Amino acid sequence: MADVKNDIVLEMKNIKKSFGDLEVLKGISMEVKRGEVVAVIGPSGGGKSTLLRCATTLETVDYGRIVIGGDVLCDEGKYCDKKLEKEIRSKFGLVFQNFNLFPHFSVRRNITEALIHVHKMSKEEADAICDGLLKKMDLVEKADAYPCNLSGGQQQRVSIARALATNPEIIFFDEPTSALDPELTKGVLTVIKELAKEKMTMVIVTHEMSFARDVADRIIFMSGGVIVEEGNAYDLVTNPQQERTKAFLAGY
Amino acid sequence: MGNFQSTLIQLWQGFGFTFGIFFFTLIFSIPLGLLVSKGRMSKIKIVSLVFQLYISILRGTPLMLQLLLVYFGPYYIFGVNLGSIQIGPFNYRFIATIIAFSLNYAAYFAEIFRGGIQSMSKGQYEAATVLGFTKMQTYFKIILPQVIKRVLPSVSNEVITLVKDTSLAQVLSVTEMFTKASAAASAQVSVMPFIVAGAFYYAMNLIVETILNRVEKSMSYYS
Repeated sequence: MADVKNDIVLEMKNIKKSFGDLEVLKGISMEVKRGEVVAVIGPSGGGKSTLLRCATTLETVDYGRIVIGGDVLCDEGKYCDKKLEKEIRSKFGLVFQNFNLFPHFSVRRNITEALIHVHKMSKEEADAICDGLLKKMDLVEKADAYPCNLSGGQQQRVSIARALATNPEIIFFDEPTSALDPELTKGVLTVIKELAKEKMTMVIVTHEMSFARDVADRIIFMSGGVIVEEGNAYDLVTNPQQERTKAFLAGY
Repeated sequence: MGNFQSTLIQLWQGFGFTFGIFFFTLIFSIPLGLLVSKGRMSKIKIVSLVFQLYISILRGTPLMLQLLLVYFGPYYIFGVNLGSIQIGPFNYRFIATIIAFSLNYAAYFAEIFRGGIQSMSKGQYEAATVLGFTKMQTYFKIILPQVIKRVLPSVSNEVITLVKDTSLAQVLSVTEMFTKASAAASAQVSVMPFIVAGAFYYAMNLIVETILNRVEKSMSYYS
């Protein structure tokens, strides 16, 4: 990785986004390096999820630049063509708060469907990838189960496996444990910690402060559509500088 | 007993048309209903309004009236005589019946499909998008199978109603079962043919119900 540019997996620059009259993102800039884990924290309505949704093409920005894995998704708010956009989509994975697994597909098919029908792998290749991931997620015996027969924690681990299957350069997590009780949360957080150890590049929107502190290299605190404070994870949680950050963290 | 046997035979002769109306209406009205529901949900306001009006009128007026209009309309309004049209074994009476039934049932199916499609969570589309599925793949692999499961109970209702509604074709003198039953009843001065016809309709619906229950069960492996 001699090329420094290649070492930045995600670049977001001066991102602006409004819903009607409501300005949700007021010029956000952030970079994520390869192997880095960045946690995004902050109050609800502060723009965290919208930022994540912009990065994952689920929302379009009004202004700004997004580069993922070296490909320019948009610049000054102007988007690339559909073909490149599709290519960019294969460079990241997204884990949703409420899993969004396909309920009519078995666990295996949830993981392999995109590999076979989007990435044009053979069924054997896809199955091999699926088996490896299920082993990693400790879900080997659930390959033929359907999502409705799994606990929330298991469902979320399947959706992490689904996001990992395409071997993305970066994975986004949108409050991955908010729909889970504390006990199930543990299992999911353990999996994410494992991924961090393997130097998976990740951006995690979360309300789990101690988790963010332990697993993230860097924390970004967002409120009111701006980045209020960012820095080393441990320092930001234990010794915040901004009043707004202090007030927010005091609640935990 | 001779009356009973001849009634059975007559009704059975009419059953062919009854089943034909049922079968062809389903074949045409379900895809048409899917299209109408798409139009109704169109983001282009004028398109949505046109389909809304279509649904409103077709649901808001009697099917019997629609049958008469499709059959007599071309002649009385436009002076076009379609009475001599014949496609295979089907004369214009039968074809008009299928057209009216299909247009009418499409309106009902459209609203059922719309309910099913709109009940799908946005997350399903988003997960599919992020995974790289095309719009077509998302629709046919992810959305439609789930919609079918959700709308099946309502669709079953319509299908069962359709079995009974076929009797309305009597107004166009299509020689379906109910027309035959009416004729037999007045010839014999007896309600027996009506009771036998009722048994036929019920038997047909029992079969329809059994099939639909099986289909529903085959999709009960997930919730």
